Amino acid sequence: MKLLVCVKQVPDMESRFKPDSRGVWFSETDLAWRMNEYDEYAVEEAVKLREQLGESCELTVLSIGPDRVGEVIKKALAMGADRAVHVQDLDAAGKDPWQIASIIAGYAKEQSYDIIFTGMQSQDRGSAQVGVLVAELLGFTCATTLVGFAFADGVITAKRELEGGLKGVAKLQIPAVVTCQLGLNIPRYPTLPNIMKAKRKEIAAIPVTELLKEEPLAATTSFHPPAKKGGGVVLEGDVGELVEKVIAILKDKTAVLR
Amino acid sequence: MEVTREIYWNIGHGVVLSMYLLSFAAVAVLLWGFWKRLPLYRIGRPLTRTDRYEERVRRLIDDVIGQEKVARVRDGGLPHNLFFWGFMVLFVGTLLVMLQADFFTPLMGVNLLSGEFYKAFSLILDLAGLVVLVMLAALFIRRYFIKPEGLDTKDEDFIIHTLLFSIIVTGFLIEGARMAATEIIQNPALANFSPIGKLVAQLFMGFDEPSIRSSHKVFWWIHFALVLGFFCAIPYTKLRHIVTTSANSFFAPLEPKGSIDTINMEDETAEQFGAAKITDLTWKDIFDADACTTCKRCQDRCPAYATEKPLSPMKLIKQIGEIAETTPEAGLCETVTEEVLWSCTTCRACQDICPANNEHVNKILEMRRNLTLMEGSFPGDEVRTAISNIEVNANPFGLAFAGRAEWAAGLDVAVMAENSDVDILYFVGCYASFDRRNRQIAESFIKICNAAGIKVGILGKEEKCCGEPARKLGNEYLYQTMAQENIELIKGYNVKKIVTTCPHCFNTLARDYRDLGLEMPVEHYTTYLERLLKNGSLSLEAKPFQLTYHDSCYLGRYMDIIAAPRYLLAKSGGRISEMEQSGYDSFCCGAGGGRILAEEKIGTKISEKRVAMALETGAPTLVSNCPFCLTMFEDGIKTGGGEGRIVVRDLAEIVAERLENATFTQSRR
Repeated sequence: MKLLVCVKQVPDMESRFKPDSRGVWFSETDLAWRMNEYDEYAVEEAVKLREQLGESCELTVLSIGPDRVGEVIKKALAMGADRAVHVQDLDAAGKDPWQIASIIAGYAKEQSYDIIFTGMQSQDRGSAQVGVLVAELLGFTCATTLVGFAFADGVITAKRELEGGLKGVAKLQIPAVVTCQLGLNIPRYPTLPNIMKAKRKEIAAIPVTELLKEEPLAATTSFHPPAKKGGGVVLEGDVGELVEKVIAILKDKTAVLR
Repeated sequence: MEVTREIYWNIGHGVVLSMYLLSFAAVAVLLWGFWKRLPLYRIGRPLTRTDRYEERVRRLIDDVIGQEKVARVRDGGLPHNLFFWGFMVLFVGTLLVMLQADFFTPLMGVNLLSGEFYKAFSLILDLAGLVVLVMLAALFIRRYFIKPEGLDTKDEDFIIHTLLFSIIVTGFLIEGARMAATEIIQNPALANFSPIGKLVAQLFMGFDEPSIRSSHKVFWWIHFALVLGFFCAIPYTKLRHIVTTSANSFFAPLEPKGSIDTINMEDETAEQFGAAKITDLTWKDIFDADACTTCKRCQDRCPAYATEKPLSPMKLIKQIGEIAETTPEAGLCETVTEEVLWSCTTCRACQDICPANNEHVNKILEMRRNLTLMEGSFPGDEVRTAISNIEVNANPFGLAFAGRAEWAAGLDVAVMAENSDVDILYFVGCYASFDRRNRQIAESFIKICNAAGIKVGILGKEEKCCGEPARKLGNEYLYQTMAQENIELIKGYNVKKIVTTCPHCFNTLARDYRDLGLEMPVEHYTTYLERLLKNGSLSLEAKPFQLTYHDSCYLGRYMDIIAAPRYLLAKSGGRISEMEQSGYDSFCCGAGGGRILAEEKIGTKISEKRVAMALETGAPTLVSNCPFCLTMFEDGIKTGGGEGRIVVRDLAEIVAERLENATFTQSRR
């Protein structure tokens, strides 16, 4: 069995986002980076399957981006991936989901993977398209938003989260792509021996130009904070006074007391 | 004729050979008992605890002859020490008799035990015997009638009590019988120098001399047999503490308090981090179990134990010994249980009070290292999140690292990256940087420094968590990552001195960072401000107020800073109503050992317990010196029913409100 898990490095969502000079994405100044949360679930599930299948199985982690993505690759290796592919791209953030999926598929088609794991979406762009596009490009079966995963006898049993709290169960033949959702698992904390071992694992570097042949299908035209629609008001003081103030505001600014 | 007494009176010198042979046999049994124990200690890792010989011997003398550590607690400690010194006098006295009888007299023909010296000798030994007897009685009453809470009494205790009691009583009976047949009749004036003996002699008066002599002989042999029994019992009963506890005074660490082994992260051959099995602990960790006298002083002071958590430092120490003896292959953390290990606040109250010099805290940390570094375990999901936050944003809150210096906006403080020409580098720490309540500490400290004309620099968004909570949770890797980045950064600027407002940052930078190459002086603001006040750079307008003061563990017990904060308070006009547990005996707020990041799920809240102690003083203000304490007490006051009765302030806030002629200049950034 050959497994692939695709991970993205994203800014921490607590960061102070500012538009970049082109105004189409965020500036990278003062950002803290981490592994995309949903991709962490994907890595954990892939590692669990890798452990289930034992030595006959190999798990590769793939990430696209500049040198800094080496951090998330190392984390995935420390969590239990066997080897890594770093697709070197200084402008990964400027590429649309179609191009990203094409890069992954471009690499994966030579490798005959059985299962590809990834997050259901990224925390920064949030298109939720890359996983399904990879499946489409490779001709794999696909299930998205997994909250449960089991593999036996060549069949994946995938529990999917649907709208309104409903769950659905799908059975997939391999090769398949699955995208992972919060609730699937609790990603392990890498142990120190595994962090050390990860330092010695192979990371293959591939320039993005070798894999990307596609033009973008969607262009990002603007990145900006939501327009201000009047600020919030914080009232402080004695409860009695606060009540008066709230009633005054409700009368003044809303229709509820009229 | 000079007064003296006949040694071996009624027994005869014929007994000497058999007496010595039996004594040597008893000592051999004693040595054999300890010898057999050595392989047990040897299953632990090696550790050098025989260097700096002179310092160790000096401490051994203070601890053993001086009984200084035992004396710290009057209950139990006072009778123990009087008993001990009395017993020592008897022991030395008996040795002297032996030397006199078998060496001085036959070899040199001199008699030390004569004249005025003999009178003093008789009196002192008699009184020592009385003291020992009375103290034994006191300890007996304490153990069997008062029954202090948590004191574990076994059959062995009764046997030892009986043994010691019988040794003293038979000793007096021998003396009484001898005196009844000799001194009382021949030299009544001399008998007055053995008041107890004289009293006991009354029991024998009226009997004829042969009866007295035969009963003397019987008592002599019983006494001798009991003493032999005492020696033989040492390695096999709690009496072993005479040897092991004393030895621990020699073996105790000489490093600064709170020192933790800095793991070598470059060592790629290392396969085990922390203690997974007993063999990952050191021989000293196993030996500590034998040195433990189960005096339960640690347990009495443990904040976790006091709030119904499963940790008792005493039981942990004993359990480690049991594991070494019975199940050395077992998983240490599983046997001890994670709940026990995560309950510790590393407050060091146990270790500080331990008369046996046992090292409780680092054992727990070694096991936590195994849990964290080898098993990826956490005390709770909230801690997992906080640790991940430190990894990403270098603070446990997960707030954007870029906002770290926002508190300083509008204050006269330089950011090192822009201007490093400053008098001190203020290492702010995560809480004073990000937590709204705690930012007031940072602001106060800057105002104080401004008033004293001190130029202050901060690292701003470049500063990272010092790594302390991570380290105390066992995550040495994350600690060293943070530490190395901070150290590299600080070394890049021309820093003369670092001052912290957080005792945790202070301990970490001042002591732990030394192992990683930070060498410049580091101070906590309490001692720094004390000096500014004393050299006249700073003057305060005293405004009288009533307060109670909380010694944070990491300032008081770890760093011995107990007087400086009180000096600042006195200069501020504060009148302190001390809590019963203060200074070295202070009771933790509950936040140490990384617990600040964890929910307190078991038992009652430590912070509430401490707030209740503060409330008992009746003072309307509780002053602390630590952002963690402040956070815990703000919480403890709210949930523990203290609202409206007490407020918690940091010492820096108190001082800042009393600055004389303070002019707050606007930011020069």
